[in-house]
Amino acid sequence: MPENTSYMIAAYVVAAVVYLVYGGSLLARGFRALRKDR
Amino acid sequence: MKPTISSSRGIIKWGVGLTIIGLAALAVIYVLALAYTPFEVRQGAAQKIFYVHVPAAWSAMMAFSLVGLVSILYLWLRDERLDAFAAASAEVGLVFSVIMLTTGPIWGKPIWGTWWTWDARLTLTLILFLLFLGYMTLRSAIHDPAERARFSAVVGIMGMVLVPFIHVSVYLFRTLHPKPIVLKASAPSLPPEMLRTLLLGFLAASVLYLGFVVLRYGLARHAMAELDEEN
Repeated sequence: MPENTSYMIAAYVVAAVVYLVYGGSLLARGFRALRKDR
Repeated sequence: MKPTISSSRGIIKWGVGLTIIGLAALAVIYVLALAYTPFEVRQGAAQKIFYVHVPAAWSAMMAFSLVGLVSILYLWLRDERLDAFAAASAEVGLVFSVIMLTTGPIWGKPIWGTWWTWDARLTLTLILFLLFLGYMTLRSAIHDPAERARFSAVVGIMGMVLVPFIHVSVYLFRTLHPKPIVLKASAPSLPPEMLRTLLLGFLAASVLYLGFVVLRYGLARHAMAELDEEN
């Protein structure tokens, strides 16, 4: 395994979690608003 | 202009679509960065943090710059849509900043030997992040919409002024942070696989920024329209 792989994995996981948590919460609120108005 | 339920629904639909495209593009960047780009000889795998850190920094700076520009327009035109856009862009900018300010130290530790150093680039970036945290706190503390928009516009403009200083700080001061390798006067100094992946990363982060902002703006307009209908 190349050097510093654990740091790379940590950074990729942190970024993915932040994007998915924020994006997921926005998408959930968006779908809820669209469903409510239907 | 007062928001309506139907117009805000249209904005939310665009936001949902762009956000899904942005998240899918981000997944493609992860695959390209991990499977397509070569390992840098000296830094090893840590260098690949570059493909998540730099596009996140790009979107954060774009978000905060747009808050400032739109705030200037708000103070001129007094259109509440501009204030709603600035609020959305500030929130999304904070999200990208969290990624920039966490992936940066994770990259710094194995390469610089330290998680953090108080040099100009890092310190100014942290100050910008804290300034926009203050911006969001200010917004939640003022209940009168016109007053909230006016005060937060001034803070937003002050934040925007920091962005060019952050860009040139690596030229003006001694720093551990590398100088720009793409956004500079001469040609980008990267192998083609790395450059292609980075440019696609910029595109993915820009689409994701746009999706988040449009969706956040649409949700805010939708909430205002519901409130207007109730009253």
